[in-house]
Amino acid sequence: MANQNDVNQYAQAIQAQLSSIATPVPVYASFNRNFATEPKFITWQLRDVHQPVYTGVVQSNKGIDTPVFQISVFTQGMADGFDIANTILQALHGYNGLFGGVTYGFNISKADVVFLYNGYDNDIGLHNIFMDCTIYIPS
Amino acid sequence: MALPNKVLPGFSATLYAQDGATPTPLSVGDLSVWASVSAINDVVPVEAVPAFGQDDAVASFGVAGSRQSDKIPTQAAPTSMTITAAWDPSDTMLLLMRDDAYNGTIDRTFVIQATDGTDYVAYAFNGRVGEFKVDPSPSAEAKCMFTVHPRGNQYGWSNS
Repeated sequence: MANQNDVNQYAQAIQAQLSSIATPVPVYASFNRNFATEPKFITWQLRDVHQPVYTGVVQSNKGIDTPVFQISVFTQGMADGFDIANTILQALHGYNGLFGGVTYGFNISKADVVFLYNGYDNDIGLHNIFMDCTIYIPS
Repeated sequence: MALPNKVLPGFSATLYAQDGATPTPLSVGDLSVWASVSAINDVVPVEAVPAFGQDDAVASFGVAGSRQSDKIPTQAAPTSMTITAAWDPSDTMLLLMRDDAYNGTIDRTFVIQATDGTDYVAYAFNGRVGEFKVDPSPSAEAKCMFTVHPRGNQYGWSNS
């Protein structure tokens, strides 16, 4: 039996975990153009929260959640972006244990990071790097 | 309360089993009595209830010179069910399945209930667990699989 996990706790843990990895680079929950005045920053977005449901009348007959959060790294200098992305990869890819720190954290069996692509946005003058991180949460 | 009279989703099926390490299975007569069957209310948290019912079994023979051979139904056994469940190592019912598999000779009454939300239909049988293994494939939750072999002639249908 597995109860539905709390997505609010996911959000708090992601914010805390990314902040601890990237410090002193600021981390925000989603993109705001006002942030573009900063030389480097990170945003994240949570998606694909889903615990498979199994047969029968019992609501808690579920599997584990494997949510994905996208990590977006924005920097004015390209090298800074790759450096931050590498820091995140080194810290998070394959990570097992407490995710999100002592205040908001929960245990994960594995974090699996995919570096998607990098690019440049001429309008805001920022390099960007996008990564997806899947976390496997026992429940 | 009556027999459901709608086409049911597969999700509507729930597997129950008697609790306790050494249960007393229902008598063959009681396996068709709703009051007895519905009293078994410990859920086994399985992913999906596999096909259940009766196997096909025939005796085939042909006689040289005869125009057609013949297939005669024989004592068809209740279907064995290989079941997958998300593996929680401390789930009480899954531990019972593991212990039953280790023992090999414990008869336990299992009940499959399907419902349209109001009415229930139940297939109850006595069976033994003949397999228990864990598949820790890393792409999802760990699964445990076990097979329940119903005893011959020990099943029944009932409804609310």
